[in-house]
Amino acid sequence: MPAVSRLAADSLRVYVMTALLALALMPESEVAAQNASGAQANAAPQDPAGEWHMQARDFANTRYSTLNQINLDTVKRLRVAWTFSDGAAYGHEGAPLVVDSMMYVVAPFPDVAYALDLSKPGSPIKWTYSPDPSPLAIGKACCDAVIRGWAYANGKLIYNLLDDHTVAVDVKTGKEVWRTKMGNVENGETMTMSPFVVGNKVFVGNSGGELGKIGWLAALDVDTGKELWRAYSAGSDQLVKIGEDFKPYYAWMRGKDLGVSTWPADMWKTAGGAAWGWISYDPDLNLLYYGTANPSPRVPVQRPGLNLWTSSIFARDPSTGAAKWAYSFTPHDQWDYDGVNENVLLDLTIAGRSRKVLVQFNRNAYAYTIDRETGEVLVAAPFAYQNWSSGFDMTTGMAIVRPDKEPKPNVKLPNVCPPDIGGKDWQPSAFSPKTGLLYAGIFNICMDVTDHRQSYIPGAPYDGMEMTRQAGPGDHWGEFMAWDPATGKKIWAINEKFMTMSGALATAGDVVFYGTVDGWFRAVNDRTGKVLWSQKLGSGITAAPMTYLGPDGRQYVAVYAGVGGGAMVSKAMPGFPPRGSTLYVFSIDGDSVATGLEMPTTEAMGTSKQNDSSQTGRQ
Amino acid sequence: MEPNSSHRTRIAFGVIAFGLALVVSACKPQGANSSSPARALPPEGELAAVPLGDIAGAAKLRAVDEVANPLDGNASAIADGHRLFIAMNCAGCHGYDAKGGMGPNLTDAYWRYGGTPSGIYNSIYEGRPQGMPAWGRALPAQDIWKLVAYLQTLGGAVAANEYHAGLQGDHDLTSTAAEAKSLLGVFDNPSGTTALMGGQESAPSTPAPPPQHP
Repeated sequence: MPAVSRLAADSLRVYVMTALLALALMPESEVAAQNASGAQANAAPQDPAGEWHMQARDFANTRYSTLNQINLDTVKRLRVAWTFSDGAAYGHEGAPLVVDSMMYVVAPFPDVAYALDLSKPGSPIKWTYSPDPSPLAIGKACCDAVIRGWAYANGKLIYNLLDDHTVAVDVKTGKEVWRTKMGNVENGETMTMSPFVVGNKVFVGNSGGELGKIGWLAALDVDTGKELWRAYSAGSDQLVKIGEDFKPYYAWMRGKDLGVSTWPADMWKTAGGAAWGWISYDPDLNLLYYGTANPSPRVPVQRPGLNLWTSSIFARDPSTGAAKWAYSFTPHDQWDYDGVNENVLLDLTIAGRSRKVLVQFNRNAYAYTIDRETGEVLVAAPFAYQNWSSGFDMTTGMAIVRPDKEPKPNVKLPNVCPPDIGGKDWQPSAFSPKTGLLYAGIFNICMDVTDHRQSYIPGAPYDGMEMTRQAGPGDHWGEFMAWDPATGKKIWAINEKFMTMSGALATAGDVVFYGTVDGWFRAVNDRTGKVLWSQKLGSGITAAPMTYLGPDGRQYVAVYAGVGGGAMVSKAMPGFPPRGSTLYVFSIDGDSVATGLEMPTTEAMGTSKQNDSSQTGRQ
Repeated sequence: MEPNSSHRTRIAFGVIAFGLALVVSACKPQGANSSSPARALPPEGELAAVPLGDIAGAAKLRAVDEVANPLDGNASAIADGHRLFIAMNCAGCHGYDAKGGMGPNLTDAYWRYGGTPSGIYNSIYEGRPQGMPAWGRALPAQDIWKLVAYLQTLGGAVAANEYHAGLQGDHDLTSTAAEAKSLLGVFDNPSGTTALMGGQESAPSTPAPPPQHP
């Protein structure tokens, strides 16, 4: 892999667009405070400013905190305040939650939950909950035995077990309140996504598209775990919950039972389209938004047709599950591009018209700004290097596929960009209402791909893509960038030698945070992209950072270092770090509840004792 | 295993097996299985007696525990095994290069359930608890041995007569220090445990008495 070896000399470089060069040269505090895109977000459900109750902090999925003790001036003083290791050797992908003076974390398999008391020095464990999921699940999970998040609601910590169950735990006692079986892990269905709670309903989806499992999203009752509805990603309109209210913007997605007729006979039953990503909610429109994953098998010649509703997004009524509109990002997805990445809900003005939009950085390397009332694509622009399409047709809402980049069985097709893992995977972006910009860790990777025809064998992969992956132009695998969602323009980017597969965190302190797969945790000026602070952690960072206000009134920033998941595609790179399981919590000067407390006293041994040879065994 | 239930399950896999038979038979050169002498397959179910761990009381291995792959080194069997590895979706978990993914790397010397031919056969036949399906009811024994023959060419497998060496972590017997060999010879044989090299013949079939304290 020659591209990798050349990376060794590649140091951190910051590219700033010409227009911002002048700003970058100014002192940090003198940069004019203005919103570049004019975008705003609804901060509902307005959780307390110092707390963090859901993975993305708010329904709109902004991952923005109004805390500002850690800011352009103080960020250089960040030091470790305390750490916590859960000992689980799989990918750590979620962010801790903070409710009142407690922190809740869930380790990857075997999915043990911990409550940590933030009011006490060192944040000791208050309770531990071990759900004992079936070890069978480890080998059925396509992409490491990970967990991407957990949710707090109504006194309960709710999360999915890898073996296809959803559990709720009483946060006061650590006792299980309910456990609901969602499917059969023996057939290759697992669960890795973070539940998402609106009111008295918790929404969960499945993983298992690589094993031919049909995707679904389900609503459960928060208090009882009872299933209220389930909507599938393929099959009849009844299964997909498409009814009279369903009004997709584009004509090619209108018609009866397209979830059946856009497939060869019966292949919708093993369609894939798993709902393993993020969910957003607009309380004004009362609509839930989430994406579906790749079609199965991943060998496209085996499934001629548009393969709806895979690699798509749904807008649904959370009370009934009824679909309001849908949009397929990559119809007849031939490269495993999925559609499950986070949808950030923003309000902004495009072409003089005020719009309610959602923004998704899709794996296919296009960033979409979509009208979230209708499903109309308003902006579609590549944010990462891609060569699978020659452009975007705004009238059909489809990228134009390059015929020479369509894989054929048993033929090695070189240099397809992005690869299966995309221009960006599930790692969530953040939005700052102060700058109007989105911040995201993205990839610069290409693949050589050879397709192999597949037979469906329950419980075994239904996949068929043989790949080698390498860096795209520039030889760096990762990048952290700022993006204007109104114009579809990249504002600045930081190149990283290794993948940037952490979530992002934006704050009112004008600093944004991200981590790298080789273990660097960085704080960046949100307007200029200048790196202000970096700390090397014990493993690669594939989790999302978060921030909270401790019971002591101090602002903390927390992030897990525990490399895994999709980042393992780069494990052959020299310097790729070992697994880890440590949560790092930073504060200004490393101060915490423990600061200033008396240390344990050391008992001085008297001189007479030390000289008493009968006590030392010496003769 | 009950032969009838096995038969029924195989019919359920008819489509796959039929397609597979076409793939495999179409590619098989006639009379090509001559690179090693033909050996009879061990009776089905026999290999279930091969232990996964060490043997309590240092009892002797039986002949079946050291059974070699009847298709070991057979060029056409290895080619068929490679095709099966892709066709039966093994590559989906273990990687097209067999270097691991959802499932473990099969090219290195780390074997959770044993790396001898019989150990690998049993893992394929019985399945394993962390997601490895049991293929014994879907694939005939001949095909499983072909898969084993292919995996044996990838560099990590343990030879049939090196069962104990594999358990003791001796990945490359030729590099074992002469001093270590002599020490093992001194310490293993008197205590009744099986020696690394050629000590199996002298191992007692009953546990040695516990050492007496003076």
